[in-house]
Amino acid sequence: MVIGAGASGAVATKTFAEAGLDVVCLEQGDWVSAREFFGGTPDWEVTSQKIWHPNPNVRGRADDYPIDTTESDVNPLMLAAVGGSTVIYTAHWHRFMPSDFRVRTLDGVADDWPFTYEDLAPYYDFMDVEMGISGLAGDPAYPETPPPPLPPFPIGKVGRKAAAGMNALGWHWWPAPLAIPSRPYRGRSQCARRGTCTQGCPEEAKASVDLTHWPGALKAGARLVTGAHVSRIETDRSGRATGAVYTDRSGNEHFQAGRTVVVCCNGVGTPRLLLNSHSARFPDGLANRSGMVGRNLMMHPYAAVVGYFEEDLESWLGPTGEAIHSLEFYETDTDRGFIRGAKWNAMPSGGPFGMRSAYGGKPLEDSWGINLHRTTAKRFGRSFEWGIIAEDLPDPENRVVLHETLRDGDGIAAPKIVYRNSENTRRLIDFHLARAKEAMEAAGAYEMTTTELMRDCGWHLMGTCRMGDDPQSSVVDEFGRCHDIPNLHIYDGSVFVTSSGFNPTATICAIALRSAMHLIEARGE
Amino acid sequence: MSDEPASLLLKRDREVFAAIADVLIPAAEGMPSATALGIEGEPMDHVLALRPELANDLLRGLRAAAGAPDGAAAAERLNREDPAAMGAIGLVASAAYYMQPQVWKLLGYPGQTHRPVRPEEEDDFRENDLLQPVIDRGPIYRPTPD
Repeated sequence: MVIGAGASGAVATKTFAEAGLDVVCLEQGDWVSAREFFGGTPDWEVTSQKIWHPNPNVRGRADDYPIDTTESDVNPLMLAAVGGSTVIYTAHWHRFMPSDFRVRTLDGVADDWPFTYEDLAPYYDFMDVEMGISGLAGDPAYPETPPPPLPPFPIGKVGRKAAAGMNALGWHWWPAPLAIPSRPYRGRSQCARRGTCTQGCPEEAKASVDLTHWPGALKAGARLVTGAHVSRIETDRSGRATGAVYTDRSGNEHFQAGRTVVVCCNGVGTPRLLLNSHSARFPDGLANRSGMVGRNLMMHPYAAVVGYFEEDLESWLGPTGEAIHSLEFYETDTDRGFIRGAKWNAMPSGGPFGMRSAYGGKPLEDSWGINLHRTTAKRFGRSFEWGIIAEDLPDPENRVVLHETLRDGDGIAAPKIVYRNSENTRRLIDFHLARAKEAMEAAGAYEMTTTELMRDCGWHLMGTCRMGDDPQSSVVDEFGRCHDIPNLHIYDGSVFVTSSGFNPTATICAIALRSAMHLIEARGE
Repeated sequence: MSDEPASLLLKRDREVFAAIADVLIPAAEGMPSATALGIEGEPMDHVLALRPELANDLLRGLRAAAGAPDGAAAAERLNREDPAAMGAIGLVASAAYYMQPQVWKLLGYPGQTHRPVRPEEEDDFRENDLLQPVIDRGPIYRPTPD
């Protein structure tokens, strides 16, 4: 059985079902229909700030669980649904670089992963075809890869403006790889470039796994139970997992048995479930002999520079995520005063409404009156963002714990996030913001604004059940099998050893695929 | 989507909203004022139907501001004494304003339209050999160490 129908759960379930295994998936959310998305209407911006907000504490849907973030610099973002957060992601589809898997060897910090880039590359290749990636082979930031199945999107006026600045400085950039079809692909329509990816794709074009994987998984015989709020994983006297207890939407409790249990609830939901599954035999939660369940949370602090230009850049045009990216300052250079680096993405700046809700209490003349019109004329269509995804290193003090009193609608203990940026992260962000300003200036921006840390940026939830060879310092092995409980597996971003500076979904899916195929091959051993 | 929040609005509430909205969004810089587009009517109702959670803050603010001598005084007082209410009023006013076709036309905004990639748009990154310098500089990654 699989718990969670997001990226890793979908990949695992489809892989198991197509191999002939009897598999059931429990998902706390429901199917989301394209009819629920507002991207094709003028309502898209105002609904994006509530109904489709990525922060579950803001959104507050019935299937969301509350998260205490009072001790966190960053809010975790996610969606409980068939397809999980891929329903509302921007579909940046980046591989990690070879150095990301050898951080200890190369940079003397954190730990090496138990496998290499080359070990994972065939699974990246496979997932590129499954998802229908649009991109351009030959990025000099990577070893040679097969061409993605679809051509890259045009980089547009935003991309060409950003690229011209990078060329003037002699810095790296490349057309963005996206899990969005630039042409029709496997029954999905061509992207309409509405630029509303983070509110769900009304065209059903974007490669969210409810579209790319679940139809195939169900056709192969997998069963999917939606509205299943899993409260705990049960174990028998021998310490093996026997299945999961869940509450349905009517409040009725059920037990779903499973000979093998695979947890795919993301970097917050997975440790929450394991910690909630404590028992007399496992008083600190399941699979937690190392004490690492919930620890080493990494969420990719995000900073940005927005540049304003005289020319019309059509900066409302999609895809939302990125026109081009840069890895110029990705690899470690110790002369900079910090280690590791960040990926940059040049992003369009969206619609005319923006974020007016944040203006209450500030001087009226700053944001309203004639300045409202002037700000809109300056920003709208004539600006773009260099976004900076900072690699945060694992720190056991950054963690997911169970809240002492906060409960979800079923009475299940909610998670609390304890997360602070390190001095290395602060230096890294300062350096990258300074370089991004130079890039904007080189591109011709006449003015810039800077965001040093975006609080609602925790899309990437990683590290809270880290993999490794040593059961004393890790939760799972290289194939996601728990050291303590051999028939309990974890396939989501929890297992990451380090975070890289990349959007992680491609790597989450590649690892889930590798782990699922290994489990299938290892049956009977 | 229910229109229930709008049914809570009295005629006086709409008048106060209109007065404040014109302070926030006046006729200037070639753009019309909020009330020139009638946003205190159906456009406000539409936003509240999409965002019913804003109704409480909005109504509280409008009724607290009802005794102010004019829209400017009402806006200043609310902004000082009840920023949440002022935030809700500003959000509803600006959301309604920026949904109006007349505003889009003046901004040159076509909306988030259906505009799939046309064949002639592909490979725009190759124009003027834009990508060639990046290729010419060669690999920038560190390979997996032995």
